[in-house]
Amino acid sequence: MAIETRFEELEPDLQTRQVAKPRPFFRADNAYMIMTYGILILATLIAIVPFLYVISTSFKETRSLFSYPPRWIPDNPTTVNYRKLISEHPFERWLLNSFFVATVVTAIKVIIDSMAGYAFAKMRFSGRDKLFMLVLLTLMIPFSATLIPLYIIVRELHMTNSYWGLILPPLASPIGIFMMRQFIETLPGDLENAARLDGCTEFQIYVRVILPLIKPGLVVLGVFTFMNQWTSYLWPLVVNTKPEMMTLTVGIQSLRSLFTVDWGILSAGAVLSMLPLVLVFIFLQRYFIAGSIAGALKE
Amino acid sequence: MARVEFVEISKRYGDSGAVTNVNLTVEDHEFLVLLGPSGCGKSTLLKMMAGLEDVSDGEIYIDDKMVNYLPPAQRNVAMVFQNYALYPHMTVYDNIAFPLKMTGVSKEITKQKVTNAAQVLGLDPYLDRRPEHLSGGQRQRVALGRAIVREPAVFLMDEPLSNLDAQLRVQTREELLRLHSRLQTTTIYVTHDQIEAMTMGHRIVVMRSGLVQQVGKPQDVYDYPVNTFVAAFLGSPRINLHSGRLEADGDRLHFVAGTIRIPLSDRLASLGRSLTSGAEVAIGVRPEDIEVDLESTSQPANEVALLSAKVALVEPVGSDLYVNASNGDATWMARTDPRLPVRRGAEVTLALNLKHAHLFGPDGRNLAAE
Repeated sequence: MAIETRFEELEPDLQTRQVAKPRPFFRADNAYMIMTYGILILATLIAIVPFLYVISTSFKETRSLFSYPPRWIPDNPTTVNYRKLISEHPFERWLLNSFFVATVVTAIKVIIDSMAGYAFAKMRFSGRDKLFMLVLLTLMIPFSATLIPLYIIVRELHMTNSYWGLILPPLASPIGIFMMRQFIETLPGDLENAARLDGCTEFQIYVRVILPLIKPGLVVLGVFTFMNQWTSYLWPLVVNTKPEMMTLTVGIQSLRSLFTVDWGILSAGAVLSMLPLVLVFIFLQRYFIAGSIAGALKE
Repeated sequence: MARVEFVEISKRYGDSGAVTNVNLTVEDHEFLVLLGPSGCGKSTLLKMMAGLEDVSDGEIYIDDKMVNYLPPAQRNVAMVFQNYALYPHMTVYDNIAFPLKMTGVSKEITKQKVTNAAQVLGLDPYLDRRPEHLSGGQRQRVALGRAIVREPAVFLMDEPLSNLDAQLRVQTREELLRLHSRLQTTTIYVTHDQIEAMTMGHRIVVMRSGLVQQVGKPQDVYDYPVNTFVAAFLGSPRINLHSGRLEADGDRLHFVAGTIRIPLSDRLASLGRSLTSGAEVAIGVRPEDIEVDLESTSQPANEVALLSAKVALVEPVGSDLYVNASNGDATWMARTDPRLPVRRGAEVTLALNLKHAHLFGPDGRNLAAE
């Protein structure tokens, strides 16, 4: 049956069809969008302006630091603050200490937290769930409550003013165990069963089957841990008093003397200490976001 | 190739019994099917066999050697899982080669075995691919390949076809049977699909709530179910099962349920005489044993009971016609000629062939089985 369309049958429809009027710009949903973007831009400015000001200050000479009106781009940009920071202070030593401690803590935590997470997620042993609850409970204890007892323990073990004092205590943080357990729980149980039948020991299952499948989780944990260790201030301040054992955060803060502050050098120190984190964020930003919501959603 | 024995096997989770007192022997080269609904304990039994679950009571023997305390890798069994359980980060070649690598087999022999298995299963073009780039049927074959290369004494298969579409399921079923015919490895196969059970098993084991209901050849279990559960579980469409009571009318025994009155054949009556008059019973008649007579010309006979009914539903399925007819207090499903000109609402006569009908006692057991 042929389908025919006759124009004269359409014409009346075309004649009577209403042409849509242009929609006004200032409608309710547009106003909402403008308001939302406005608030977001304002919040971004509030967050980013201090960073930009610090960067600007680090390239200014001392005499132009407090000029009015303040200049965002210095008239005579200079690297003298950076040169002074490196030549007059043990900046490289601070940097090395921070890098060493952050790297070692990250490497060890990735290994032990993933092992603990595997045990809690997949292995069956008596008291497993109660033990995990106990581990989680320690998350509720604020660091300020454990600071003094922890210092006493480290002092009695003669680990103050040493790398051991900086590395060992952060290894006990339970957040990584929780994160790894959540990642590993999402893996199908039959994978380990298949590996057991194929002849794997529990350790081989962990190394050959589990670890390769939780690589994104390991990166998240590594980024999270490195970032925390790099920016850690209170514990390194308390446990080490010798200048050569200072980390970057403590060292930069030491640039503030009792009566004077060289804001230019301080800003240069802040910029240099920020750089590694900015680079990590640029290349691994999706893992930052994943780390912040790890375990929040059921897979 | 091995003989498997389950002796008084039980599995408990707390106070709950998942498997209770299972005694079963799987002969060498046999393809045994464990059939039952979800939660009946069939997968638990398989996992105990594999060593993936501990045994609460009883022993498991493979070729007269008790394996209860042997770790999974030392039992010489290979398992194919419902969701394939392929290692996502490995290629097809590495997946199949993995068990050989773990047991220290040399690279040359591994390559030879993997290549052979791939040829048998048609996986040659896919050896460099990862599981995410394979179809469901291909993944299933990789899982089979990983099991085959181990040359185990026993294959364990836990609903391997349940994730495949209907057509692929039929195809893979045939492939599995060909494989078994070729390898002759003792196989224990778990499924909830009665078609798979009937077509694949040398024997089937029907399970319910952790208990074995019946063991036997597929046709025997179908023709002689020991209880109402087995009768209802096997057969599509489902057997017509109606509860009622026995009533003596002169020297003839009748099955009575509401307005339904079925004179029992001599065979069924002899079974019913072991019960008192008025005893609660159930009668079971399979749909293929019911004829739909449009013109009411059927004559009653000793093994043919007639019922007047009204057609409620007609379902053509191509090769058959399912007629659902209501007779007062009961609804009967008949499987008949697809070209029968029956219409919904028609008044028909149902001719029940009682030659293969079953009579179940008050406890649900088939009176013929006692």
